[in-house]
Amino acid sequence: MNEDYLWDKSGEPDPEIQQLEEILGTLRYQPKPFEMPRDVPAPRRRSYFPLLAIAATLLVALLAGGIWLRVRTRNEPQPQYVQLPAPPVEEKPIAREPEKTPTAPKQSVAANRVPRKRSSAPVLSTREREEALAAKQQLMIAFRLASEKLNLVHKRTQSTSPNQIKNQHRVG
Amino acid sequence: MKILLISLLLIFAPAIVTKAQDSRIQMSSLDHLVAKASQTIDVNIDERLIRISAKFLSNDDPDEKRVKELVNGIKGIYVKSFEFANDGEYSPADVESVRAQLRGPGWTRLVGVTSKKDGNLEVYLLLEGEKVGGMAVLHTDDRELTVVNIVGPVDLDKLAALDGHLGIPDLGIEKPKAKKDEQ
Repeated sequence: MNEDYLWDKSGEPDPEIQQLEEILGTLRYQPKPFEMPRDVPAPRRRSYFPLLAIAATLLVALLAGGIWLRVRTRNEPQPQYVQLPAPPVEEKPIAREPEKTPTAPKQSVAANRVPRKRSSAPVLSTREREEALAAKQQLMIAFRLASEKLNLVHKRTQSTSPNQIKNQHRVG
Repeated sequence: MKILLISLLLIFAPAIVTKAQDSRIQMSSLDHLVAKASQTIDVNIDERLIRISAKFLSNDDPDEKRVKELVNGIKGIYVKSFEFANDGEYSPADVESVRAQLRGPGWTRLVGVTSKKDGNLEVYLLLEGEKVGGMAVLHTDDRELTVVNIVGPVDLDKLAALDGHLGIPDLGIEKPKAKKDEQ
């Protein structure tokens, strides 16, 4: 039997093979244009609008916050110092290195030392230090004044008749 | 659109509430009195300055320690005090500009005292629920106008206890003379 027919369909075909070809030929691939089934739902495009809206809102809020902070910082009144004779401010050695006295040169010796604790005093520039001291002075004066007024109220409420005291009056 | 509105509301609502509860009083309307006053105290200390100055308050000094405790949490201290050489140098409108703010929401007048000798003294508190969110003292006399505004939680007892402890010069504020019936 010539088997060339099985390879390249040349030569004399075998009747059984021909029969098989006829039977299986019905299942052969037949090219035809693709048709979309009508019952398949069309895919919906995902909507990004809510996400975009949230992102835009956050962006606007951040921008508004930034602008507000900048304007607020610009409009913040600079501290004015009290027009009073300055009380003597006790000078305290803050963030200042102790004065070095001339001593004999130290010999460098390697040793396990416990690291020195850092001073809790803030390291500030001269300008910041002056500003802080002035603020401290103002702070003390403000508290002194507030305290005096409160004590004056206290004394007055102790000494005046109840008719003169309008106490616990809710406003607004 | 609905999401946008809700997002905006959620973002800005806390800011609106915070602004409404701000206990700082605007006192710039009193600035013109500086020219008329014989003595002026003008203190503007914001949170940053309080933080810086608090670092210079010593724990070893009992007075400074008291102030340091008192300052904790306070966001600002603003004082304007004018003393005049003559009566009637300031107008009722000046006082009203401050008092009107103290009629705002949240403010409660704790006590008001009228005295011929010491004038009018009023203490206001900004209450945030159970907590004190700020304090204001308004003192008006024939020759004096003083506004003290503390922003933030204030312990009134501790503040009152400071009087006479702080080692700073007397501000010249006349205190009522001690009388036997006041004791």
